[in-house]
Amino acid sequence: MAVAWVDGRNVPVADAADKAAELLSASFCPVFSLDTDVHGTRAAIALARRVGAAYDQLDGAATARETAQVTDKGGLFIAPGEARRRADLIVLVGALPAAHHDLIAELAATRPDLGRRGERRFFLIGTEAKAPAGVKAVRLSCGEGLEAALAALRALLAGRRTALPLRNFEAFAGALAEARFAVFTFCGQSAGTLALAMLQGLIADINRSRRASALHLPASGNGWGSTLASAWTTGFPLRAGFSGAGEADFDPWRFDVARMLAEGEADLHLVVAGNPKRIATPPAAMPLIVLAGGARPVAGAAVAIAVGAPGVDHDAVVYSSRTGTLAAVRAERPGVLPSAAAVLRMIAERLPQSEAPPC
Amino acid sequence: MLTRIAGGDIVDPVNGRSGKGDLWIEDETIVTAPADRAPDLTLDASGCVVMAGAIDIHSHIGGGNVNTARLLLPEFHKAHAPRPGATPLARLGWTTHETGRLYAQMGFTTVVEPAMSPAAALHTHLELADIPIIDKATLAILGNDDFLLSMIRDEASAGMVEDYVAWTVASSRALGVKVINAGAAASFKENVRSFSFDDEVPFYGVSSRCIVKTLQAAVGALGIPHPLHVHCNNLGIPGAPDTAAETMAAAQGLPLHLAHLQFYSYGTEGRRGFSSAAARMAERVNATPEITVDVGQVMFGQTVTVSSDVLRQFSARAQARPKKSVIVDGVADGGGVVPFDYRADFFGSLQWAIGLELFLLIDDPWRVFFTTDHPNGAPFTAYPEIFSLLMSREARAKVMEGLSKRALALSTLPGLTREYTLEDIAVMTRAAPAKLLGLKDRGHLGVGALADVAVYRKGEDIAAMFRRAAFVLKNGALVVEDGTVTDWRWGKALRLKPEPDKAMVKRLEAWHQQRYGLPLDALVFPDSAIGREEPFGEVECNR
Repeated sequence: MAVAWVDGRNVPVADAADKAAELLSASFCPVFSLDTDVHGTRAAIALARRVGAAYDQLDGAATARETAQVTDKGGLFIAPGEARRRADLIVLVGALPAAHHDLIAELAATRPDLGRRGERRFFLIGTEAKAPAGVKAVRLSCGEGLEAALAALRALLAGRRTALPLRNFEAFAGALAEARFAVFTFCGQSAGTLALAMLQGLIADINRSRRASALHLPASGNGWGSTLASAWTTGFPLRAGFSGAGEADFDPWRFDVARMLAEGEADLHLVVAGNPKRIATPPAAMPLIVLAGGARPVAGAAVAIAVGAPGVDHDAVVYSSRTGTLAAVRAERPGVLPSAAAVLRMIAERLPQSEAPPC
Repeated sequence: MLTRIAGGDIVDPVNGRSGKGDLWIEDETIVTAPADRAPDLTLDASGCVVMAGAIDIHSHIGGGNVNTARLLLPEFHKAHAPRPGATPLARLGWTTHETGRLYAQMGFTTVVEPAMSPAAALHTHLELADIPIIDKATLAILGNDDFLLSMIRDEASAGMVEDYVAWTVASSRALGVKVINAGAAASFKENVRSFSFDDEVPFYGVSSRCIVKTLQAAVGALGIPHPLHVHCNNLGIPGAPDTAAETMAAAQGLPLHLAHLQFYSYGTEGRRGFSSAAARMAERVNATPEITVDVGQVMFGQTVTVSSDVLRQFSARAQARPKKSVIVDGVADGGGVVPFDYRADFFGSLQWAIGLELFLLIDDPWRVFFTTDHPNGAPFTAYPEIFSLLMSREARAKVMEGLSKRALALSTLPGLTREYTLEDIAVMTRAAPAKLLGLKDRGHLGVGALADVAVYRKGEDIAAMFRRAAFVLKNGALVVEDGTVTDWRWGKALRLKPEPDKAMVKRLEAWHQQRYGLPLDALVFPDSAIGREEPFGEVECNR
């Protein structure tokens, strides 16, 4: 099986890694887009440090919004396991990615068993949010967007008047008054930074006299896992970049890799992704290095190396939105394809003046 | 590889060695001077003090809450990275890499992360594995978890509790057990806003006292060398001395360690109802030989408080500087991250003075441990200045000149003349921590000990001496020269490995599946998940 290509030609992996190292060494402004496990992220950051690259989540806007809530404001959060055992009122704030529908269905099929035992009630906020199949939820909406509905809800709970009525507010206020622990789910895919900040304001208000918290169901599990690994490795979340001296900096605008590519700041794009179809064809003059699943060359890629899928082809550590922390996953079908981490380390070893990666 | 550290002043209280001499090291071990062999490496330690590598028993260096602090405060690191030393924030060693480097340069070779949530053990160990040079260890948090509280409520046998504690310690790869505001995190989830030693957790009807006593007994019965590590109730509240005194009294002759006592030594005297109760607390510690404490010294400047005492952190949100915080209702426990700026005002001056009073009024350096509760009282990089304050009353007097006189009038510190000796420092930061943690291979320079050695060049400036060690050897390898790391290596996380009871594992599997809808496998992990060769080192339980 072919596993590595240079300009679309089959080559040994070592040759492809040589070529990748050569391109990275020649680049003035390399950028990395990641969608990988924790060890893949650690290896990618080590490589980024060596070559002075910026790095971001692939399609990282939603992950960046979730990050901004923590870096700019903070908030109150709850672990998924604790929500399952304790929440008797669940509010789905905005639409959730399909990956989280099973968890919501599971919450609907179970009852809280800690504290006062009772039914779990569900509400939805926003006109576009839909309850997963089998989940009965009452919609709170004022006919405008998610931000407006959250603002109206917060104002009404504080006893203030609003310009627009919020449908089903009384039902919610009654449910909240009876609830022991309210949990609001959120995801950066459907909620913008204003909505996330308003939600945390609402939760802070409720916590003056009662208990409530927010359940983070990330837009990308890999995105959040990489955010955590980046934080301990460099002190910063994703959208960080390294100077030539190996010093990290964090700037969610400056190191937004999609922006850097669109505005022509970058001169090399390295992508680590499970699915090669997610990778856009680059401009002709832009070298593209791809580490992705699949046994085909990637259109327009100067270098492509097939890597195994975490938890499928090789053991891995990934963020589990089911437990709210990092989890070890065993390979479902251990295979011969190397991990992204192994390939990234192989490339780093081939850089000139090679030294041991710092992580 | 044979190494000779030549002509230094050796300070090794465990082996009664004091005075000028040589120290010989073969590979990773301290050896007797060989009769007829020349060393491969000679390090000139003339004019230097030679001690065992220092051990920090309580420093929050990795795990979920620490990483959340990084995410909450990227501006801290941003201020630090480009201009180290030039900003007040420069003392915060944020990344795993910096943590290892800065500790090693001060001659510390083993550091304990004292608050690992068992549910996030993998995350914690991944971070610790990325801290270079030093060895690490963790304490697993218990005491707010449904499984334990239910067992206590249902009057489960002591053996069952021990089986559960053993499984938790083994599966999370911990070196000991910590209880944090026992029962308070569970109570806060039931909207309780204050929680004392004899208060009961709603739903369980189990008191904080009962949780502490149950865990203390289990830790003792399992032969876990480190006594139960207790973060008492009512941290930071004037009047907390009563809570700490009650907890000490509850030890009832069995070992118990109380963490960061400074935060519990706030009296209620004076016009502002805030004064030092350190003298009273120290007297209590001196009179209770089964108790050990660490201080949690406060130093002035910006820091961030990181704690699994979620109830305390929730109430501290209003004092956040800068104004942002994270509060987490976790599985079993919780956590809070609240940035804070200790100012040299009335309150800050008293907090600073109280910690030093404890250091100076507790007689036995074997029972008082050197901590800032990093980063809660101050970043660990403030240690050299604290050594200076302990060893020099002049240094203390100089700082006191700039502090609130009203605050100092409510403390005994201005009248204290005690100065720590190098021998006291070696006991407090080497010998005693090794004994407390059950690390027989370190904390001293006897033949057969692990060659973790710190060599400091003597000088007038005590802080400078401890900030930049002349040499540091880790496992016999020279890793620091003239205060700079010269060789990078990876340490291990030290752990106990009690054999989990099979019936308990079966019970936990069923419970986990039923309560969380997940197999127990979702929580546990193989060593290989850490991604380094031999990430763990095993420590024996007492039997």
